[in-house]
Amino acid sequence: MLQNSRLTRASFVSALVMGLAAGAGLGALPARAQAPGTITGGFDVGPGGFQGNFNPLAATAGFTWLTMYFEPLIIYDAKLENITPDLATSTSVSADKLTYTFKLADTKWHDGVPFTSEDVRFTIATARNGTTGTVFAARLNAISSVETPDPRTVILKLSTPNAGLLATLTQLMILPEHALKSIPSDQLAKHEWWSKSPIGTGPYKFVRYVTDQYVELAANPDYRGGKPLTERVINRYFANTAAAVAALRSGEIAFSYVESDDVPAFANNPAFRVIEGDSYVVNYLGFNQEAPMWKDLRVRQAVMHAINREAIVKALYKGAAKIANCGYVASNLVPKGLDPYAYDPAKAKALLAEAGWDKINGAKPIPLLTYYTAPLAANVLAAIQSMLGQVGINVVPRAVDVPTYNGTIYAKAPDWTQFPIVYAGLGNGPDPVNLNIGLNEKQIPPNGANFLHIRMPPLTAAFDAAMQETDDAKFAARYQDVCKAMNANLPWGTMWVASRYGIASTKLKDFVWTPAPAGGPYDAQPQKWTIAP
Amino acid sequence: MLGYVLRRVAVGFAMLLALSLLIFILLRLTPGDPIDAFINPNVAMTDAEMAAVRARLGLDQPLPVQYLRWARSAVSGDLGYSLQRNGETVLGLIAQRIGPTVLLMGAAILIAIVLGISGGVIGAVRRNSPADLGLSVVAFFGISSPAFLTALLGLYVFSVLLGWAPSGGMLTPGAPFSVADLLAHLILPALLLAIGQTALIMRYMRASLLEVLNQDYVRTARAKGVREFWVIVKHATRNALLPVVTLIGSTIGLAIGGAIFLESIFNWPGMGLLLITSVETRDYPVIMGATLVVGACVIAVNLATDLAYALIDPRIKVG
Repeated sequence: MLQNSRLTRASFVSALVMGLAAGAGLGALPARAQAPGTITGGFDVGPGGFQGNFNPLAATAGFTWLTMYFEPLIIYDAKLENITPDLATSTSVSADKLTYTFKLADTKWHDGVPFTSEDVRFTIATARNGTTGTVFAARLNAISSVETPDPRTVILKLSTPNAGLLATLTQLMILPEHALKSIPSDQLAKHEWWSKSPIGTGPYKFVRYVTDQYVELAANPDYRGGKPLTERVINRYFANTAAAVAALRSGEIAFSYVESDDVPAFANNPAFRVIEGDSYVVNYLGFNQEAPMWKDLRVRQAVMHAINREAIVKALYKGAAKIANCGYVASNLVPKGLDPYAYDPAKAKALLAEAGWDKINGAKPIPLLTYYTAPLAANVLAAIQSMLGQVGINVVPRAVDVPTYNGTIYAKAPDWTQFPIVYAGLGNGPDPVNLNIGLNEKQIPPNGANFLHIRMPPLTAAFDAAMQETDDAKFAARYQDVCKAMNANLPWGTMWVASRYGIASTKLKDFVWTPAPAGGPYDAQPQKWTIAP
Repeated sequence: MLGYVLRRVAVGFAMLLALSLLIFILLRLTPGDPIDAFINPNVAMTDAEMAAVRARLGLDQPLPVQYLRWARSAVSGDLGYSLQRNGETVLGLIAQRIGPTVLLMGAAILIAIVLGISGGVIGAVRRNSPADLGLSVVAFFGISSPAFLTALLGLYVFSVLLGWAPSGGMLTPGAPFSVADLLAHLILPALLLAIGQTALIMRYMRASLLEVLNQDYVRTARAKGVREFWVIVKHATRNALLPVVTLIGSTIGLAIGGAIFLESIFNWPGMGLLLITSVETRDYPVIMGATLVVGACVIAVNLATDLAYALIDPRIKVG
């Protein structure tokens, strides 16, 4: 028995020692704070971010990070109100909107080679060449020629006016011809240059990418806007937002996008600054026009009257969303006199009865497809499900990941029974032209992204008129017409435009971040960012 | 023995071939492809733009052609290129990731073996004592706690609240390499990954040792005057280890599953994180290659476990 006790004590002590050693290991090796002269952030976390996004020709998001080392000709200001010069020092557009002239900055690529108009010509040609894997080809197809009369001038000639061209050019990063011309176009998209040795003209130079961990940039001492005040900027990757929030709270990163649910945890903490902004994404219930039940306008109106949008915004979004009665919420684009579709379940039932759809789907629920999977979206969809259920419209939310969603709606032979109604979002700004591709009848696949097969002549006519408008003074009025057509015809049941949030450490000075759709780009002036020790 | 090993290796290759075909079919049955993953749903793209990208990646070819192309390259050691990561080869990605995963799993298994066997021995030798009851409660919680819960709780408590460990990654970004930095990042995910396995090993070890302690040869050893320490260590524990070794081998697959989750929570740059990000982006060649490598590892570990029996228990002959 004595021996037995000794053995027990020995084993117990050894186990205890190992446990303590492990615990001491945790305590003895504290988390590192950020290195001096370095700003580390989760700049690609959340919507608008795009981890592993190196090729700007293939980018549909993450532009703000790309502009740390690449630059477009023109760029939105940080309030997303005006398009301002970047690599172009000035822009002039002819009265007929068919000629765009850009005067270029006198600057150099990160390897010291001068930047010229030939780089712009090369970039536009590459971005229009489908074999490069570009996503810009269709958006640049109005350009008929690119002229380079001298190294500091570029002239774009258009075959037809294109109201969205300048907005598109804000996302087109100019590429170095001398570094890329030897790569065959069909090998460009997957070439290692993008993630190993890219060069741009921006304030920071690319140093390294550690796969799925981080990207490190170093200050460009020759930047024409002055040498950046911070030596290094590191963009850390996170597989999920919760991990990014943990890193933010523990001080390992100085910035991250967060879900609105996370905001209260930071709101009263003096170590952090909450940045709130318009998402420029309108959330909507999209009625698939192949589904017979949605063809009658009264049924679509019934859906609008059945949903208490004010209650959802107040209770679930905590006020951080604006009700949308068309695709826009910007005051200059929303005319007076729109139908607000006030919450009125009795009216909704009456409209359904009048349309002969009071037994809209009997016992079989209608799948409500969405790619929004965050807890807030789940609660919102549960509320919508309950409200629609009260007027006899039986829907069941089906949340899937983005590839599944896109694979369903963009299938070669789409099965509308898989998505008779969707809860989705589409960028409605800063350029209002963005909605055209999802709503204009001419944009029904394969021509565009009108995957709900919306065929509403008044709406198409309104978009066409807005797209062709050459008089800047009439521009807003044209989009007000689009808004009116949307409100009257209800191609979508527009719900709201939610706010987005970023959290920045208060140690960051002169830090500019805007929750822009698709991650910008906008003029963030990273060369001025600093961080206190 | 050699014949047995060769037979098992041949069967392993056949299993890998079947696995690759199964994964290929499952991937193609999954809605969405790499192009669908690549489109930001808030930014519309035309069908023509998507079709051009799809054709460039060879995704417009018939499925048997796609599989045979992949299989032919794989047999020659070329697992292709990632569709979502510029210019990176699948083999290169796997080579970068296998080390961190082996490190994380190795550390976790080592912790689990040491703590599990120690706890099991204590529980058996001090049966029904407060120490045994305490360890049983700990093991109960360890077995019952899902990996995602312990990982998130551990992250919150040790990184956010206590600030004892970094919240993720393997090394501090931009900092020069140091072993202390690596250990600081390793210890929390390794401990959390070890919890479930530690609990299982502890329970098995306790049950197995209790059974062995009642055997005649243990009584004989005691009757011959062998010191109790040696009776336990040399005669009882060694024999009690046999089912525990089986358990450790068979739970490697489970540990890989746990590691996949832990790696995504802690952004540990291993095979798990690679697999998760590749599935999210429908990066077919990476999913195929990584699955093949993970499958090969599980088959190899199972073979090694079978061979280990023979070393632990000379009565067992393989072949």
